[in-house]
Amino acid sequence: MKNMLRIEELRVTVEGKEILKGVTLEVGAGEVHAVMGPNGSGKSTLAYVLAGREGYEVTGGRVLFLGQDLLAMEPEERAAAGLFLAMQYPVEIPGVSNMYFLRQAMNAVRKARGEPEIAAGAFMKMLREKARLVGIRDELLKRDVNTGFSGGEKKRNEILQLAMLEPKLAVLDETDSGLDIDALKAVAEAVNSLRGPDRAFLVITHYQRLLEHIEPDHVHVMVDGRIRRSGGKELALELERHGYEQFAAAAA
Amino acid sequence: MGAATRRIDPPPFYGELFARERTRLPGHGRAALDRVREEAFTRFLGLGLPTQKAEAWKYSPITRLANREMALAEPTVPGLEEVSAWFGGGPATRRLIFVDGHLQPEFSHVGGLPAGVRVMGLARAIETIPEAVAEALAGCDPERAFSQLNAALTRSGAWIELADGVALEEPLQLLFLHRGGDSAVMTHPRIVIRLGRGARLHLLETHAGSGSGHCFVNLVGQAVLGDGAELLCDRLQLGGSGLSLLARGFLEMGAGARLRATTVALGSGFLRNEIELRLAGREGEAILSGLYMPRGEEHVDTLVRIHHEAENCHSDQFYKGVVEDRARAAFAGKIIVHRGAQKTNAYQANNNLLLSDRAEVNSKPELEIYADDVKCSHGATCGDLDPEALFYLRARGLAREVASSLLVYAFANEVIERMADARLQALTRRAMLERVPGGAALEAEGLL
Ligand SMILES: Nc1ncnc2c1ncn2[C@@H]1O[C@H](COP(=O)(O)OP(=O)(O)O)[C@@H](O)[C@H]1O
Ligand SMILES: [Mg+2]
Repeated sequence: MKNMLRIEELRVTVEGKEILKGVTLEVGAGEVHAVMGPNGSGKSTLAYVLAGREGYEVTGGRVLFLGQDLLAMEPEERAAAGLFLAMQYPVEIPGVSNMYFLRQAMNAVRKARGEPEIAAGAFMKMLREKARLVGIRDELLKRDVNTGFSGGEKKRNEILQLAMLEPKLAVLDETDSGLDIDALKAVAEAVNSLRGPDRAFLVITHYQRLLEHIEPDHVHVMVDGRIRRSGGKELALELERHGYEQFAAAAA
Repeated sequence: MGAATRRIDPPPFYGELFARERTRLPGHGRAALDRVREEAFTRFLGLGLPTQKAEAWKYSPITRLANREMALAEPTVPGLEEVSAWFGGGPATRRLIFVDGHLQPEFSHVGGLPAGVRVMGLARAIETIPEAVAEALAGCDPERAFSQLNAALTRSGAWIELADGVALEEPLQLLFLHRGGDSAVMTHPRIVIRLGRGARLHLLETHAGSGSGHCFVNLVGQAVLGDGAELLCDRLQLGGSGLSLLARGFLEMGAGARLRATTVALGSGFLRNEIELRLAGREGEAILSGLYMPRGEEHVDTLVRIHHEAENCHSDQFYKGVVEDRARAAFAGKIIVHRGAQKTNAYQANNNLLLSDRAEVNSKPELEIYADDVKCSHGATCGDLDPEALFYLRARGLAREVASSLLVYAFANEVIERMADARLQALTRRAMLERVPGGAALEAEGLL
C-alpha cells in the first residue's frame, strides 16, 4: 500500500479556541476512509485545514501529502498536487459560469501537472458524460457557479467537479447531508466509479447511510477534536446502533 | 463657510482666450448667438471655479485641472483604425466622430436617416437653426460655471432631434477621440437631444484618449424627452493619464418617458460624470447604471441628482466601483422627491470593491423627501473580494490572481451587461478585462 496522506498529531486553533487536539490519520492509495462523529467535533475543520482555507491556526503536528508538506502549500498548489475537497457548503459565485469555471479549473490543474490544456471539444464531451453520471442537467452547466442551485444540486455539482478534475485524494465533507435517496445513490455511484488503486477518499459523514453505498475500508470516529476509535466498516454499524454517547462521555 | 471659499476667480487666460477666439467660433456675427456666448462667459466669470469646499465638488479636485493655462485644441486627423477601434452598433449605425473636439466629416456618416430624424454637427445646426441653438445654450444650467463656459466656447457637438412617434432602431454613435497634444488643450462639446412624443433613440457615446498630454474636456449634454419617449444610452469612457473628462448631462422627461443609461467610466487621469434629471411627468422611469474602475493614480467621480416632480415615477440607480492602487473614486447620488410626487419609487445602490489599502472611495447617498406616500431606499457597500468565493476558486486550482480577476470580472460585468448594444458591450468588457491583473489571460481562455 502506497502512503498518500499522513496526518500527525495535528492541532488546530480557530479564533483562540482549540478545535483539533492532536489528530493522527493515515490514508493509503486506493483506500476509502470514513470519518464520522457528532456535530461540532471538528470534521469540517479538518477538511478545511487540509484544503488550505484561511482562518485556521496550526499549533502543532504536520500533514504530508504524497511526501510533501501540505500545510506549507497554497490552496491552488494543493489542488494541483491532487487534493480535492467537496465542501459541506459549496459557495455561490454569481457572474461566473459553471462551465467556464470548470474549464479554468481543469486547465489550471493540468498545467500544474505539465499536461496540455484540454481541447474545447474533448472538454464538452467529457463534461456531458460526467454530468450525466452525477445527474446534472445541461441547464445547470450554463448557469453561474452554484447560484440558485438547490442544496442537492450543489452537492451534485461538487461531485461533477470531482469527476472532471480526477484528483488523487478526494475529501467529501458531508456530501450526503440534504440529499434525497436518488441523489445519494447518484453521488455514491459516481464516487464508486472513480475508485481505483491510485485514488483515495476521505469521506466525512454524520450518518451511516452514505456508507451503505460507498463501502469504506476504514472508519474513524472523531469526537471533540480527536480520533477516538478506528476500525473496519462494522464500526459504522455499531455507531448507527449505539450513537456517539459512549465517546461523548469519555471526552467529557 | 463663506461663499468666497467655495469658488475662486478663473485665471486670466480664460478672458484672453475668449477675447481671442470668439470671432472664430461658429455662428459668430449672429446677434442672438453672440449675445448668448457673451452672457454665458460673464456668468462663468461671476460663478467662478468651484473649490472642494463647494458641496458638489467635495471629492473632485477639478479646479487644480481647470486652473492650468490651456488653449482650444487644434484639429488633427487620426488613422481609421484609431477611430474604428471604438465602433459600436451594427452595419447601419450612423456616427458623428469628434477628434479633440472637432467634427471629422471624413469619418462621420449621418446620411440616409428616416424622415423625422435630424442629426447634425453643432456647427451645422448653428447655420441652419441658429435661434434654436442659441435658446438651447442659454437655457441650460444657469448656475453651473462649467456649463456656462461650455456655452461660451462650444464649437462642436451634436444636434439630435426626433419628431413625434419616430423611432431610430439602429443605434446612433457619438464617438469622441481625445488625443491631446504637447501643450494643454481644452474642448467644450455640446450635445442637444430633443425627442418628440413617443420617439425612440438608442445613443452610444464613447470617449477614448490615449495621450498623456493634458486635455480637458468639458462636455455638456442636454435632453428633453417628450411624453412616452424612450432614450437608451450606452456610454464608455477610457482615457490616458492626460485626459480630464468632465461630462454633464441634464435631462427633462415627460409623462411616461423612459430612460435607460449605462455609463462605464473605466478610468483616465480625471473623470467626472454628472447626471441631473427631472421626472417632470407622471409615470416616468429612469434606470441609471454605472461602473467605474480607476487604478494607478486615476480619479473617477459620479454625481447623480434625480428630481421626482410628478406622481408614479420610478427611478433606479445602480452604481458599482472597483478601485485599485492609489486611485480615488466618489459617488454622490441624491434623490429629491418634490411635494405632490406621490407613489414615487426610488432606489439607489452603490457597491464598491477596494482592491488596495491605498485606494479610496467616498460614497454619499442623499434623500430629500417632501411627499408622504413614497418608497425610497438606498444602500452603499465598500469591501474586499468575498474570501469564501476566493477560497472556493483557489481550492479548485485557480491561482490567486486568476481567481480574484475572475471575481472582479463577475462584479463589474453586472453593470456592463446592462448596456443595450452588443458590440459596445463586448468592447467594453474587453477593455475592462485588460485593466484587471490577469484579466487578459482570462479573455484568452475563452471567458468572453
Ligand atoms: N470559523 C469559526 N469560528 C469559530 N468557531 C468555529 C469556526 N469554525 C468552526 N468552529 C467551531 O469549531 C468546532 C468544530 O466545527 P466543525 O469543524 O464545523 O465541526 P463538524 O464539521 O464536525 O460539525 C465547533 O465548535 C464550531 O463552532
Ligand atoms: Mg461539518
